Amino acid sequence: MDNEKLIAEAKTVLLRGDIVGIIGYQKDSQGFRVSPLFVRDERDIEKLFFSPLCWLSLVNYLTLEKGRLLQKGNPGKKAKVALMVRGCDSKALNQIIIERGLSRDEVYVFGIPCNGVIDLKKIEKMFPDVQGSAQVSENNGFYHVRCNGKSHEVPKEELIADSCKHCVSPNPILYDVLLYTPIVVKQPDYRDIEEIDNMSIAEKWEFWREQFSMCVRCYACRNACPLCYCDDCILERLSPQWIYRSVNMSENLIFHLARSFHHAGRCAGCGECERVCPVNLPLMLLNRKLEKDSKELFHYTVGEKAEQKPLLATFNPQDPDDFIF
Amino acid sequence: MNCFILSKNNLNDFLAALDSYELFVPIRKNGITVLAHIDDPLAIKLDLTSQPYLVKQTIFPQTESLFTFDRKKGIKAPSFETNHKSQVVFGIRSCDARGFCIIDPVFEEDYPDPYYIHKRKSTILIGLQCIEPFTNCFCTSVGGSPSSTEGLDLQFTDIGESYFVEVITQKGEEIIKVTAPFLSCPDKNQSVKKDEVKKDAEQKVKRKIDVNQLSQKIEQIFEDSVWSDLAEKCISCGICTFFCPTCYCFDIQDEIIRGKGKRLRTWDSCMYSEYTAHASGYNPRPTRMERLRNRIYHKFKQNIDRYGVSGCVGCGRCITLCPSNEDIVENIETLQRL
Repeated sequence: MDNEKLIAEAKTVLLRGDIVGIIGYQKDSQGFRVSPLFVRDERDIEKLFFSPLCWLSLVNYLTLEKGRLLQKGNPGKKAKVALMVRGCDSKALNQIIIERGLSRDEVYVFGIPCNGVIDLKKIEKMFPDVQGSAQVSENNGFYHVRCNGKSHEVPKEELIADSCKHCVSPNPILYDVLLYTPIVVKQPDYRDIEEIDNMSIAEKWEFWREQFSMCVRCYACRNACPLCYCDDCILERLSPQWIYRSVNMSENLIFHLARSFHHAGRCAGCGECERVCPVNLPLMLLNRKLEKDSKELFHYTVGEKAEQKPLLATFNPQDPDDFIF
Repeated sequence: MNCFILSKNNLNDFLAALDSYELFVPIRKNGITVLAHIDDPLAIKLDLTSQPYLVKQTIFPQTESLFTFDRKKGIKAPSFETNHKSQVVFGIRSCDARGFCIIDPVFEEDYPDPYYIHKRKSTILIGLQCIEPFTNCFCTSVGGSPSSTEGLDLQFTDIGESYFVEVITQKGEEIIKVTAPFLSCPDKNQSVKKDEVKKDAEQKVKRKIDVNQLSQKIEQIFEDSVWSDLAEKCISCGICTFFCPTCYCFDIQDEIIRGKGKRLRTWDSCMYSEYTAHASGYNPRPTRMERLRNRIYHKFKQNIDRYGVSGCVGCGRCITLCPSNEDIVENIETLQRL
């Protein structure tokens, strides 16, 4: 992907005078790693880039510490923060906006149609000893990887992040400027969820018991999630203490159920929770199960359009209730 | 120092001979290497290629009961005199073993912590020489080495068909006694080979940090705006601290169900805002900047001032696992440039 348009747009935007900064991606000097970049003046603009290595979501940085960047240069609430936003990120951002966590006029959105990003763990495993910076571009179902002075063609399927394999919203649903050509949208595929649905209760229990027993409750899944922006999280409540600090099967299970239930009808499908998990829990299986249920039971799809109401703020007398009693 | 040779074919028998101990060995699970508490080493597939995570769990468990209580029966504290089995932790790297040495004084001085001390004394650490240091390893910059035997009781080095076994301590001798049938004496070539492997590994540690005058430096720049810049990408999760071999902070809480309960300690993380939150609502470290600064301070200044050794072992896990690519090596470089 060429970055010229991105850099040109970023320069124009920064000159507008109402933008306090740009949150974007920058390539690290080592290996395949990409970091968030906080651009406050023109000097850093050239560092902005986008490639299939941009695996992390930047939406989180709007709400961390109630948006440090927003608050800092934004006393009169007239200024905006500009942000690079992929399809999934735009759904997360939109969700925050419809929940009134942010206002649309506080952000300027560089929309990025995204063809899926690379799982860093997979590519670091395939190319373990990279000296200096590596580059990756995508062409016709292959990733073109340049590292250690050599070029490699790798089938996309081998490196793409699992959460991107199920992506049905590659194109941003809200933006101020669209940087690349929109991408053809795929049909939803819930075969992996159906596989778990079809397990017996004992099998499901065994599967999740095994997974949750690995959890160390570092809360990276919560902190990385763009939609976990509550000032007051139940995990930190001491009175009543909804979830004990003990790391055991009982508390881990409740933690993960609480975390995923709080995303019912909200999860944007960006896969941040799964990406950051140090013990590789398949957390998107839980999120996508809820996504599938919202669709089938309540005909609700997150981010279907920019101005929809949140699922839990809607009621229809025809909503199914036979699972209640 | 006594040295032995253990044929790789005999490794499982060697481990099986340790059946009077609680045994922890590295296995692969969910794409990472962790230590598993096992009963039958012959039925388990070991993973000896990767450094195991969360080794400190074996001596400083994430959740530990300090005592139990009951409204009717009162308090019951554990006895440390009883004949608990000793434990053997097999296959750890030098950085993790050094980690224990660095946190020992924290639990031993001033107010000796019987829980930690008891476990530490009754644990035998068997190291596996690091052959392929990871991209983010920098142990050689902070007083360590992939070949360091500090904190270990036995050190294994892979020399091809067999392991070269070095006995480091008296506790290590204990293991040799029960596994003697599987061990033989090394010849000169094997000894030379072992030295080569060690030397080779040390040269493979690529990343470096400059610790010269670092503690003075970070004291001078305590109020500098650089900390805000460094912390800007941090998302305040607990990964760097939980996976750090030398982070030992814990919280103490009571968990009570129907009049019966436990007083527990669980790992805590200085990267959480809740960590320093006062009951009054005041928080002396309200933002990520204060928290990241504290973490670097603790490792590279306070630990040196108090215990004379860097609090970082250079294992690089906080870099590898960080969700937002916070990189302590780059952070130190930035600080040193000021």
